[in-house]
Amino acid sequence: MKNREEILALEICECGEKSVAQAIEIFQETSLPFKKAKKLVTECNKSCCRVALLKLYDMNLFGRFDYEEIAYLIEQRAERIRQLGQGV
Amino acid sequence: MYNYEWDRLKTWLDQYGAIEAGIESAQDIVRLDLSGNGLKSIPENIGMLSKLISLNLSNNKLQELPDSLSKLSNLSNLDLRRNAFENFPAVIGKLSLKSLNLSSNKIADIATLQECSELRVLDLSNNLIKEINFSFPHANNLITLNLSYNFLREMGVFFFSLSYLQRLNLNANLIKEIPAQISKLSFLKEFEIIENHLETIAESLFELPLEKLSLSSNRLTQLHLDGLSSLESITLDENSFESLSLGAGFAPHLREFSCESCSLKEFLLPASKVLQTICYSDNDIEEIPSEIGQYLNLKELDIDENSIRELPDTLANLSYLETLYANKNPLSEEAKKVVMILDPEICDLNMKTGIVVEKAKEEDLSQMAQLLSVLFAIETDFKIDYNKQLAGITRLFAHESSDLLVARYEEKVIGMLTMQRLISSAEGDYVGQIEDLVVEEEYRKMGVGSRLINKMRNLAQEHGYKRIQLAADVDNKNALQFYNRRGFNKTHLNIYHYQIS
Repeated sequence: MKNREEILALEICECGEKSVAQAIEIFQETSLPFKKAKKLVTECNKSCCRVALLKLYDMNLFGRFDYEEIAYLIEQRAERIRQLGQGV
Repeated sequence: MYNYEWDRLKTWLDQYGAIEAGIESAQDIVRLDLSGNGLKSIPENIGMLSKLISLNLSNNKLQELPDSLSKLSNLSNLDLRRNAFENFPAVIGKLSLKSLNLSSNKIADIATLQECSELRVLDLSNNLIKEINFSFPHANNLITLNLSYNFLREMGVFFFSLSYLQRLNLNANLIKEIPAQISKLSFLKEFEIIENHLETIAESLFELPLEKLSLSSNRLTQLHLDGLSSLESITLDENSFESLSLGAGFAPHLREFSCESCSLKEFLLPASKVLQTICYSDNDIEEIPSEIGQYLNLKELDIDENSIRELPDTLANLSYLETLYANKNPLSEEAKKVVMILDPEICDLNMKTGIVVEKAKEEDLSQMAQLLSVLFAIETDFKIDYNKQLAGITRLFAHESSDLLVARYEEKVIGMLTMQRLISSAEGDYVGQIEDLVVEEEYRKMGVGSRLINKMRNLAQEHGYKRIQLAADVDNKNALQFYNRRGFNKTHLNIYHYQIS
């Protein structure tokens, strides 16, 4: 199991090359709704990392971060990409 | 009489804190939560819980279930999400479940599902399902089905046997087509199929009683929308349309219409006059039709990132418009005047970028003391006295169990918030007392207060505080509404002061 620092260092978005910590900082620095705040992190229009980012955005909004949940969602997405890569 | 089996099971359940006080026999247990315990197996004698209605085994490491589960004839809800199942547990077919959650496992074959005709809610999202080759029993009652984040390539015969289905989520699969047989889902109200490979949609979809339709992030290039007489919300974001058209009879009750990042050159207006939200951000639109002024119920308009120079004067008719996103357009001065007249509550044109929320520094203290006078001008319980406020804020800054945040714009402090650590006998631990939230007038409606609160809540979590609390002036309606919207609950306590000197 990863500790908090390790989870904060995980990459949450490949397009914007942002870590969990950077995404949290960006969400804390904006009052825009998720649809627009997401673009500040991803710097693109893709929705590939939407699930983890939406969860992180909501956690920021409610002021309580569940880092294990975020790590799980990032891992789940990585697993899906791996499966797609193997032609599942 | 002593029951050895029950004693063993009770001991096992006790170690996970799953048994509430007062439970004396197996028949007393109707709900059981064993989630998040890292369980690899469940004891066979769980079958003696004959009155069990709801069983939560989520967030464990289960790969199989005991056969004795089939004895739980009253079991209605079974939660198995986030386990390690590679096969659909066969014993589930012998139960009379109404609700089953098997999301986030590694299941590819779900043939056993054919035996679960009483299911009403089924979640199989985040599995390895590539195809479903069987029909559900004719008399099935399934109402809600989530198959998102699987690897389905087509909507086959299984889906069209779900006669009573009302909610279907097929997000993040590999589906290319919505076939004509979709018409068999004659009760379908919500349909999400974003992040697929959709290229074609059968016209029969538009005859369904859908209220919500999400088709974002697909490969649609041509679409003519018509019918859908019950539709209230449609999202078409991230499709590269060569042609998109709306029929006159399309969705007369539509409230939300979103076409973000769709390569559109034309701003199409749906016929529904009850529209509340229109989103056309990130397209190639140059002009907004003047008919937009007829949409008097419009609350949110998003035209960010287009090529719009002029805005129609009729926009000023939209007196209910609360939110306007119009950034990243080459708007003329005339267009900006239209926005000024419109004066929406939230407008990204008015938002300043570069406002930073951070911990206060010593050199901020005098500006913070001045800001407090803005707050105390509203709160009648307090008097404005710069020297007292400076003394107070300086003491707080020096106090090790205090947190002071400022919102800064171009070196100027334009907002602030403080928190002090208290010990709560009710919580038996530390709590945070929030005070002094204030934002300068000209920087309000930009979300600065929310950012200050969010950051402070984050600090409270880091400190391990059990709760944060605050007092707000009963006459400050804006503040009361602000805190309510951000999840603060009003208490039954009143605050009293006793002046010592």
